[in-house]
Amino acid sequence: MSKLNQTDIQGFVLRGYNLPYARYVFLHFEDASRARALIGRLLPVITTGQLWDNGKPRSTVNIAFTHRGLAALDLPEATLLSFPVEFLQGMKSRAGILGDTGVNAPEHWDRLWHANAVHAWLGINAQTPAALDARCSEIQALVQETGGAIELASQDAAAIMDEGKPTTREHFGYTDGFGNPDYLGVERSTQPGQGKLMPDGSWAPLATGELLLGYADEAGELPVAPIPHILASNGTFMVYRKLHQNLASFRAYLDEHAAIYGGGREKLAAKFVGRWRDGTPIELSPDGPDQAIVHDPNRNTNFTYGADSEGTRCPIGGHIRRVHPRDAFGFNGRLIDRRRITRRGLPYGPPLPENEPASDGDDRGIVFMALNASISRQFEFVQQQWIEYGNDAHQGNDKDMLMGNHGGKGKFVVQGDRSATNPPFLCNHLPNFVELRGGDYFFLPSITALGMIALGVVDPR
Amino acid sequence: MPNQNGTIYGLTILSPIINDEKATPSHDLQIRSYLASMPVGEDSPFALAPGTHLARLVVMDDVVFVGAPSIEEHLQSKYLVFESNCDGDLDGYLSGLAAAAPQDLDAIWSHCVGYPGAARPQAFVDYMKACQIETTFFFAAVNNKSVPETLRALQTQRAVADFIASHQGMEPARLQAEFVHFATRLRSAPLPKPGSPASPRPIKTGGRNE
Repeated sequence: MSKLNQTDIQGFVLRGYNLPYARYVFLHFEDASRARALIGRLLPVITTGQLWDNGKPRSTVNIAFTHRGLAALDLPEATLLSFPVEFLQGMKSRAGILGDTGVNAPEHWDRLWHANAVHAWLGINAQTPAALDARCSEIQALVQETGGAIELASQDAAAIMDEGKPTTREHFGYTDGFGNPDYLGVERSTQPGQGKLMPDGSWAPLATGELLLGYADEAGELPVAPIPHILASNGTFMVYRKLHQNLASFRAYLDEHAAIYGGGREKLAAKFVGRWRDGTPIELSPDGPDQAIVHDPNRNTNFTYGADSEGTRCPIGGHIRRVHPRDAFGFNGRLIDRRRITRRGLPYGPPLPENEPASDGDDRGIVFMALNASISRQFEFVQQQWIEYGNDAHQGNDKDMLMGNHGGKGKFVVQGDRSATNPPFLCNHLPNFVELRGGDYFFLPSITALGMIALGVVDPR
Repeated sequence: MPNQNGTIYGLTILSPIINDEKATPSHDLQIRSYLASMPVGEDSPFALAPGTHLARLVVMDDVVFVGAPSIEEHLQSKYLVFESNCDGDLDGYLSGLAAAAPQDLDAIWSHCVGYPGAARPQAFVDYMKACQIETTFFFAAVNNKSVPETLRALQTQRAVADFIASHQGMEPARLQAEFVHFATRLRSAPLPKPGSPASPRPIKTGGRNE
């Protein structure tokens, strides 16, 4: 396979747009034929994966559906029943196996999610707030003209600005968004460390079927997909999770523990994640941040943990080592090739400078979206085994320091050596730095599939 | 010795299940039903009897024909498969099971051909060994440590982690005094029960939840 049909795949799947403003609009369909008419009208404005020869557009539009949404569009029963079971159930029903319990349990989610009424997600990204508003008004006009949907709610998100320029920082101060995987056939500027590790130490793209339905995956199999094939092919599944960040708790915890940690505050913050807050991988630069590495695409995602099996540089339970263990489990990293996800998302809520007092109650966090061919094999596995459990990383019951649903009882071990500035250290009584405020599982169809849905010609026979 | 790796024994037992067309429910279903209701924590018979690291009981109906080009084959009987990673000598382990959980063993194995009952320990051990097949290859991630040693190690790890967390940065003389006190207390702490969770995990994993 040489090249994908980029014009048939939604652009959101193939690339992170790096557009600083976004609005995620949640729709409810009341009438199938009017809803299909709306999708037909939206079809020409959906952003595809076609390369941007004339520069970035001012805005983009993408669409995805929950299983309830597809049912409300009157897809045939045989098609609806052929979707993977986790998508059929939806994220709320999977709370038990995801560890979305306690403060993360669905009863604490935003009201939007309570009634199970979300049928579709519209993702609008834009270069400026004005372009975002303009595009959203256009879409609203289409919604009203067709009577195709009710807008239940929308979620704004935006890159955190630094002197008027968008950054990839999130609210805790970490530079984020390194290292989405490469896939065969997806044209993007690749860099070492973003695919799968090969026995000779080089990196190669993952099989297309780890991201897109209708293609062979890393096992040489077609991912479980709905019928007919043409409905599934060039589509993918999306996990949407609104993650609230308890900024006050994070800063207080860091301050309190940095006071007794020999490496200092910034090094402790780096140990939590595996990257210094400017993005430098701690594995490559254990003693301090190094902007030269951050800006070097040949280095900023190009590292392994094999020479650091004791975790003295990057802790074994550090966030990036947990969720993308590279070679940490041995076997040249082959154990993780079917557990990769592509991440999208932006922060929401007002950014807060380091020196200003924070409150956990402020509405602030990150909209996290994961794209994968199999939600159960990829996202759910990572969430259950690598975020909410530590056994694969030999960290017992310890959860991911940053993302874990700790409930005040979490523990995180910072492995160290005999030097005064890199001592072993133990973080105890971890609170929830991040709380889940809602989300669901979505199907992100191809352009062809959207057309079939709009025309009502999905036929499973 | 292929059944043994260091001090750890890899036990595999295949007991033929009684094939009685008149039995309703059938003997294999009665075993399945009993296994589904067995406790898995501290009250598991394998936690009550000494020496089990990990045990598994499975009803094997037949070999599954997966389609051409494989050859269609069938077993002569349904089997109860008992696999266990256990400590040390086999006779001692099996008699320990018979002594600790005779009702469970009888409820399960009474559906198997030729089972003598756990009340006759030597006959029980002989029966089990007659049903044993060579394990040839197994993996037990217990670093050649016995069940009590493993429980003690986990208890120590947790206690030391808690101690470090609450004593980090303490002034050395006081730290030493507290550590001596801590070590004395830990040495006399009772061994945790096999099968007891270190802490509850509010997440559904394994078994019928996946």
